[in-house]
Amino acid sequence: MNLFSLQRKETFRAPQWETKLSIKIIMTLVMLYFLVAFILGASFIYPGLNKAVQTKEPVEIFNSILLYFFFFEFILRFFLQQLPVTNIQSLILLPIKKSRIINHVLLRSVFSGFNLFPFIIYLPFAISMYRDDYLLTQVVAWWGALALFTFCINFLIYIINKDNRFFVGLLVLLAATIALDKYTAINLGEMAGTVFDQVVETPVLFGAFLIPAFLSYGMVYLFLKRGLYMDAGLKQKKTQVRGGEFAFLNVFGEDALFLKNDLRMIIRNVRPRQIVVMSFLFLFYGLVFFPQEIYRNQPYILAFAGLFVTGGFTLTFGNYVPAWDSSYYKLLMTQNLSYKKYLLSKWNLMAFVTAFCALLSTPYLYFGWDVLAIIIAGSFFNIGLGTWITLFGGLLNKSPMKLNVKAKAFENTQAFSLNQFLLTIPKMILPAVLYGVPAQFVSPTAGIVSLAGAGVLGLVFRQQMAEKITQLYIKQKHETIEAFNK
Amino acid sequence: MINVNNLSKKYGSTTVLSLSSLTITKGEHFGLVGNNGAGKTTLFSLILDLIQASSGEVTINSINVAKSEAWKNQTAAFVDDNFLIDYLTPEEYFDFVAQLRKIDPKTLKDFLVRFEEFFNGEVLNQKKYIRDFSKGNQKKIGLAAAFIGQPELIILDEPFANLDPSSQIRLKNFLSSDENKGTTLLVSSHDLNHVTDVCDRIVLLEKGEVIKDTPKSAATLKELETYFSEQ
Repeated sequence: MNLFSLQRKETFRAPQWETKLSIKIIMTLVMLYFLVAFILGASFIYPGLNKAVQTKEPVEIFNSILLYFFFFEFILRFFLQQLPVTNIQSLILLPIKKSRIINHVLLRSVFSGFNLFPFIIYLPFAISMYRDDYLLTQVVAWWGALALFTFCINFLIYIINKDNRFFVGLLVLLAATIALDKYTAINLGEMAGTVFDQVVETPVLFGAFLIPAFLSYGMVYLFLKRGLYMDAGLKQKKTQVRGGEFAFLNVFGEDALFLKNDLRMIIRNVRPRQIVVMSFLFLFYGLVFFPQEIYRNQPYILAFAGLFVTGGFTLTFGNYVPAWDSSYYKLLMTQNLSYKKYLLSKWNLMAFVTAFCALLSTPYLYFGWDVLAIIIAGSFFNIGLGTWITLFGGLLNKSPMKLNVKAKAFENTQAFSLNQFLLTIPKMILPAVLYGVPAQFVSPTAGIVSLAGAGVLGLVFRQQMAEKITQLYIKQKHETIEAFNK
Repeated sequence: MINVNNLSKKYGSTTVLSLSSLTITKGEHFGLVGNNGAGKTTLFSLILDLIQASSGEVTINSINVAKSEAWKNQTAAFVDDNFLIDYLTPEEYFDFVAQLRKIDPKTLKDFLVRFEEFFNGEVLNQKKYIRDFSKGNQKKIGLAAAFIGQPELIILDEPFANLDPSSQIRLKNFLSSDENKGTTLLVSSHDLNHVTDVCDRIVLLEKGEVIKDTPKSAATLKELETYFSEQ
């Protein structure tokens, strides 16, 4: 089908594919690694549940948490799934039937990375079921029902994506489900689970899942058909102007100019918003490690965790400096502004947000003073050195950034470079060593002093650091402009 | 004002621009014409140090553009969309540029008043981001911003393209007006009429080389038309 060949060309001729073959191979390997890791992880669910809970069948337990998984999937897709609608503008006038265009778009969406869920999570589970003592028909019906339901979500997200009210509704529903489960005898998760239990018991019921699948397809088909005019569904929505003067920033004097611009950029564009939201999730990273006793005596892991809690913004936002400004880089390069001032403004923003995160992380005091001390020392490191390492990494990042386009999940290669990926290694190992070595051989306090001290040093030599990095940026100026122009 | 010496730009083995010497004096209105691929944008990009020359150099007020950044405080340009910050409103964008050029808000306001006719009531106070404006209005925004703070040197690539006829005429009048007399203006255009109206020197490029370099006279337009129709 030649609409698909257009699609293939679009994907493989995108700038990020025009990299070296070696990088392509490594990226493919990285993706394969994650895929295999997921599948392996998922294949341990069944035996794990079997061992942990004796009173219930693993399938029943799994089914009873499916509802939450669906909520999670909905939310993830809402934020990350980019609908393949925008590219059909150029097709409207060609002699192609509208129905064909819509069917193509919908079919295409089936190949989204999100629809791998049934394969990487449900399939390993289903295989475990079969290896236990379920009949093939039972397993196939169960898996098929889940796969069909995943496709329902895939189609419904088209409608939800256009309208924030649906999303709010979804959140309310989720909150209600949790509340009902907690405070009343009604457990919607288990109720939804019994539906899938029934499918296992009576495989023929699988057929019932064809109905919502077809219905959702039909609904979205009609929805898109109505929207298939230039001024309706396709055009990106015109938004009300958000965030204005930020007059309070004027206390920063000349720096305020860039700070304001960066804030406006974050508030008004999809991609940076997405990334900033993600960066705040890092605040909760510590919850994975600090509550567990086994990590309490592992200084390297503690340093890691402490660093991530406040380092989210530097890691996620900072990684894309200067790509954030790629769409108007030529303007910046011809205006009366010094490169150093530009970079320092980015530094200020990162330092400010990291300090703010440090403030927000004070509830970690719950786990003890030592934990909070690691986090605060980590924030010193992030501000003093992490920021500079990140800005150095930006030098290696030569992919333009489309600000107002959502990242495609599982192909988040926009403005991604392998070099930069490799640079995250020292960014994590350095602090682990700075804290871990003194903590292991002297005392935890020595580790904290060493980690925070390194950060303070970076702060003291801020001007010199800025000077050095600026030199490097200027050296790469033409290369960067050319790359951003693509 | 601008000196170009033995400037060349090569991509692989193809030479896209090769100029042995070119001098543009202060206050000159310099028009650049030529078919696609003649090297107009390449020349402008080299002057603005947006691309690296394969050989030779460009100086603005005796400052080598590739070696120092000091030329930036007297230069402004609008070459393409990459000069617009599309998530800002026009007001915010003008304000940003004005602050970079150290122009106070009052002066900026007075300056923008003169563009009222050119903007045709469609640019200011619209409460819209630049990305939501039409191509023509985006162009107007970029053009106006280039003039903020009266830079000595202004470089405009295809300023007339995408503008409606009235706006083209208004732009032409503005570029030729007294207030831009002392400004060194570099304009490229495919519209021979406009470029000969606005400029007092016309340079014709073809395949990266200067074919014709003449002060404008009554006969210039005719000559250019003859040249291009024979191509």
